[in-house]
Amino acid sequence: MTAPATTDSEHDEAPTAPDEGGRAPARRYGLLALAAMLVVGLLLGYAGGLLTPGLTRPGDTSIEAGFARDMTTHHSQAVEMSLTAYRSATLPEVRQMAVDIATGQQGEIGAMQTWLREWELSPTGSQSPMSWMSDGATVKNGLMPGMATPQEMAALRDAQGIEVDRQFLTLMINHHLGGIHMIDAVLGETDNAEVLRVARTMKATQQSELNNLRQLQAQARG
Amino acid sequence: MSISTPGGPERRPTVVSTGKKPAAGRPASGAKAGSGKPTGKPAGSPRAGGKGPRKPIAPVKVSQGRAWGPIALFVAVGVLAAGIIGYGAWASFQGAKPWDKRANAIDGIVNIRKSDPDSLKYEAHKSGPLTYKYSPPVGGVHNAAWQNCMGDVYDAPIASEHAVHSLEHGAVWITYRPGLPQDQIDKLAGKVRGVEKMMLSPYEGLDKPISLQAWGFQLKVDNADDKRIDEFIKDLRVNASVEGPTALCNTGITATGTTPRELQQQPTQ
Repeated sequence: MTAPATTDSEHDEAPTAPDEGGRAPARRYGLLALAAMLVVGLLLGYAGGLLTPGLTRPGDTSIEAGFARDMTTHHSQAVEMSLTAYRSATLPEVRQMAVDIATGQQGEIGAMQTWLREWELSPTGSQSPMSWMSDGATVKNGLMPGMATPQEMAALRDAQGIEVDRQFLTLMINHHLGGIHMIDAVLGETDNAEVLRVARTMKATQQSELNNLRQLQAQARG
Repeated sequence: MSISTPGGPERRPTVVSTGKKPAAGRPASGAKAGSGKPTGKPAGSPRAGGKGPRKPIAPVKVSQGRAWGPIALFVAVGVLAAGIIGYGAWASFQGAKPWDKRANAIDGIVNIRKSDPDSLKYEAHKSGPLTYKYSPPVGGVHNAAWQNCMGDVYDAPIASEHAVHSLEHGAVWITYRPGLPQDQIDKLAGKVRGVEKMMLSPYEGLDKPISLQAWGFQLKVDNADDKRIDEFIKDLRVNASVEGPTALCNTGITATGTTPRELQQQPTQ
């Protein structure tokens, strides 16, 4: 790009300085070459910086992508269960926990969907759900580990009074157990720092919530 | 480069160039062809242009051209190195210091996560009044209900049993000793009001005028103008959350009073 422009200027200056004309252009070429190489070097460094994350980001069949997609599905049902409990449960502690789970997991869905966008992957994978899990956990009737069946979800929606609390607590405890199982799978195999960070927080949260859910279950039973 | 640059334009050209002319002629052109594609093109066309009007000029150029070959090589290597170093700097800039390292660097901060992690452990929510090791508390067991921390400015003390739950959700809780001048309180309120994951309240028995809490971190200062207050908020608000950035601060207890409250049973629809 710059080459034609500079050679033109050399032509213009050559006749005006006949004695030193021989040396000056040569020096200028050196400077130009230096400048050009400096620019090329900087561009190379910049391009390397730009390309490296692209080359190292998780691919379509990666564990990270599988986790982000399937945990989104898993979380989505927890959000539905929790919002049902927030609306209809009797015990205030259950409602309080339910709304925290709902917004917390919806927030995590946002993070995981952002990963997929940043990795330039679709929210839906080309492989079947759960195929990233190396321990052979599978989808049964479209359900990942710990997920409630459509019948259980319908029963929760139709439940009244303290029965809402009881069903919600049972379903959410199973849901968290299945969720922790999936989180453990990604924790064991990924080295992506951001995925590790979020998955660790997810696991810690669900484990402490499990304790609180079990405590409330005893309370709701009595 | 350093040799040819000062010597170049003034007196030397005639002496040096004529002396070098015979020897320089061939290797120079050979070097040019060999040394590279980048210099080949721009060098070629002007030389052809120079040859036309003035014959003696051409050899001078050639003799100088030879020096540029190795120089260009060195420069290329240097530039490549600079590129690699530049990329390294770029990469390390991307992965800037993590928040906990920045928080640790705040002068006078107490990191209870490091110094006393056991005090932060708990099994499950516990109702009723609880005792805390630190004053104001920085973490540990707490009630099921959290104190609303949506930028709430409380004008009376609040229950630690709720406030600690807010810390768990990533809130920064600013406390001040009752009797702090109003203009100081207003300055603190200005940092809190309207900002989620922030709350402000007076705290009885504080050993310093102002104390800031996040889960596992505490900083006590004398003055609301202290710059470390903003650093503490910048490094720890949301970051210190045990349950991620979207743990709730709304739907919490909005009442003041140091006796923890049971959640009110709301009429169901």
